[in-house]
Amino acid sequence: MSNEKILGDPSSKSPRHTADDWLNTLDRARKPGPFLADHAAPGSGMSTVSVHAGTHDDPRTGAVGTPIYQASTFVLNDNQYQSVEEGFARDRFIYSRYGNPSQWAVQEKLAALEGAESAIVFSSGMAAITSTVMALVDKGAHVVASSDLYGGTYNLFNQEFPTMGMSCTMVDSYDFDAIEAAIQPNTQLMYFEAITNPLLKIIDIPRLAEIAKRRKVRLVIDATFAPPVAMRTLEHGVDVVVHSASKYLNGHSDLIAGVAAGPRKLIDMIWPRLLNYGGSLDPHACFLLERGLKTLAVRMRAHEESATALAKYLEGHPRVKKVFYPFLESHPDYATARRLLKNGTGNITFVIEGGDAAALRLVNALRIPKQATSLGGVESLISLPFNTSQATFTSRQRADVGIDPGCVRLSVGIEDAADLIADFEQALAAIYAKKEPAYA
Amino acid sequence: MRNSIPTAALSEFVNEVQNTPEEAVMEYGIEINWESGTRSRTETKAMKVGPHQVSRSFSWKSDEPRQLMGNNHGANPQELLLSGLGSCMMVSFIAGATAAGIQLESVRIDFDATLDLRGFLGIGSNATVGFPEIRYTIHATGDASEEEFAELHRKSVAHSPNAQTILNPVKLNGAIVSTRIEG
Repeated sequence: MSNEKILGDPSSKSPRHTADDWLNTLDRARKPGPFLADHAAPGSGMSTVSVHAGTHDDPRTGAVGTPIYQASTFVLNDNQYQSVEEGFARDRFIYSRYGNPSQWAVQEKLAALEGAESAIVFSSGMAAITSTVMALVDKGAHVVASSDLYGGTYNLFNQEFPTMGMSCTMVDSYDFDAIEAAIQPNTQLMYFEAITNPLLKIIDIPRLAEIAKRRKVRLVIDATFAPPVAMRTLEHGVDVVVHSASKYLNGHSDLIAGVAAGPRKLIDMIWPRLLNYGGSLDPHACFLLERGLKTLAVRMRAHEESATALAKYLEGHPRVKKVFYPFLESHPDYATARRLLKNGTGNITFVIEGGDAAALRLVNALRIPKQATSLGGVESLISLPFNTSQATFTSRQRADVGIDPGCVRLSVGIEDAADLIADFEQALAAIYAKKEPAYA
Repeated sequence: MRNSIPTAALSEFVNEVQNTPEEAVMEYGIEINWESGTRSRTETKAMKVGPHQVSRSFSWKSDEPRQLMGNNHGANPQELLLSGLGSCMMVSFIAGATAAGIQLESVRIDFDATLDLRGFLGIGSNATVGFPEIRYTIHATGDASEEEFAELHRKSVAHSPNAQTILNPVKLNGAIVSTRIEG
């Protein structure tokens, strides 16, 4: 009955120790992974990496692509028991909350795309964010974060942190002096977003990384709006990159997932939080995410192509007051975008004449973009900050953060630019042609 | 996990430090404020673990017994000294046991020390101001032989920073900043 095969990462071995010496003779060093098998780099192009990295054909049947390992638990042998005893259980299959081959495959692909040593997938972006933050802070810790964070992350810092005796100072991500001034002796983490929502500010991450390193603080970046292909965030000196994988990474608006990627040392610190908080990703969702990722590079090119054409069209429309798209020269961060982004994305934010009422009529008049929150899917999605992401704000609070009446959030999918433009043309024509009823 | 310490992570840290020695540099600090009489309150400062800042939000009080003009509101400085020494020897003992593959069941260290306060009081005698001797006994149970435990004891004291601080001369560089308050 005894099976001595290594069920896990075959290159991960127990630390050995020479009896005559002290701790210095322990011989296990950290290495990237865990990986299902030695897997030669398939190439360096982002499309090649998207398709091949981490994908392991079924060794038993030769079936192409990673099988779905829909199992909650694994047959145990001495190797797994030893991994628990010696503290390297992350490298063996024991129980799917700890790790599962379907998770490992997609984690390897994500790590390769981000240029990271290791990655962990989670059951949502917020599970990834909470586990990452909590792994990098201690009792009494302080965090410096951006003042225009995603609402879920804002709630973590604003609602959960004080309960746990921790605090967060939120600062304008353009104001580097204020960021430095906010760092205290107990500050352990700087937390920012690569591209903000909804105004699509491009944050100068290399500058933040310089501050973090000099002030001995870790830097975590949420790069949901700037997936690899657009930006390899870790290359700019970031400690850990997190994403809501439900957006561009998966790209099909059909699952909820998150990921944290970075050096093995830090991802190994996050792993116990995955176990404690329990945000593990189901094997079938891993399969969907891995399949979605295979087309990441080609999708990102299509997003950029359609979004750029539509942004230009909107910028020229007489009823559109402002367009925010990082690759338009009119964008306030155009130079930073050209420096940091290797590819555009699908997010466009624009403001139309007639305020939020006109914006509401616009989203109802459009035929292609679906009126839904989220972003990064192959289908265009459209929503309004005033009744979704910033609905709890007063109109003055929205104005203070730069969200004007008539502001529209658009995530351009991969539909043909000509069709999208035609749809916006008809919708804009329709909503401004109608005379407002006197009682409206 | 043996003794609740991940041996793999300990080994990975050892190997990391061999390549990047700055990861082994720890910076500590505490601040002590006089509260009343012989009672004072200590707070930890933020710590540096290698090149990274770590929040350390801990505090405790020390006091002397009433017989020594205090109120007995906390452990006294000698007990805290022994506690700092013993806890450090404990970490060293547990880490060493883990690396050597010894599963411990229980470990208790008993400390005793005698101080002659004539040194503190300045009464002429042969008494030293500090402890002339600190006595301890480690009571350990686990899956190692008597010889293995003896070797672990020897090595753990040899590698305990606090034990070595007490055993070896250490520079105590102090300064005072004073303000005279005019009555």
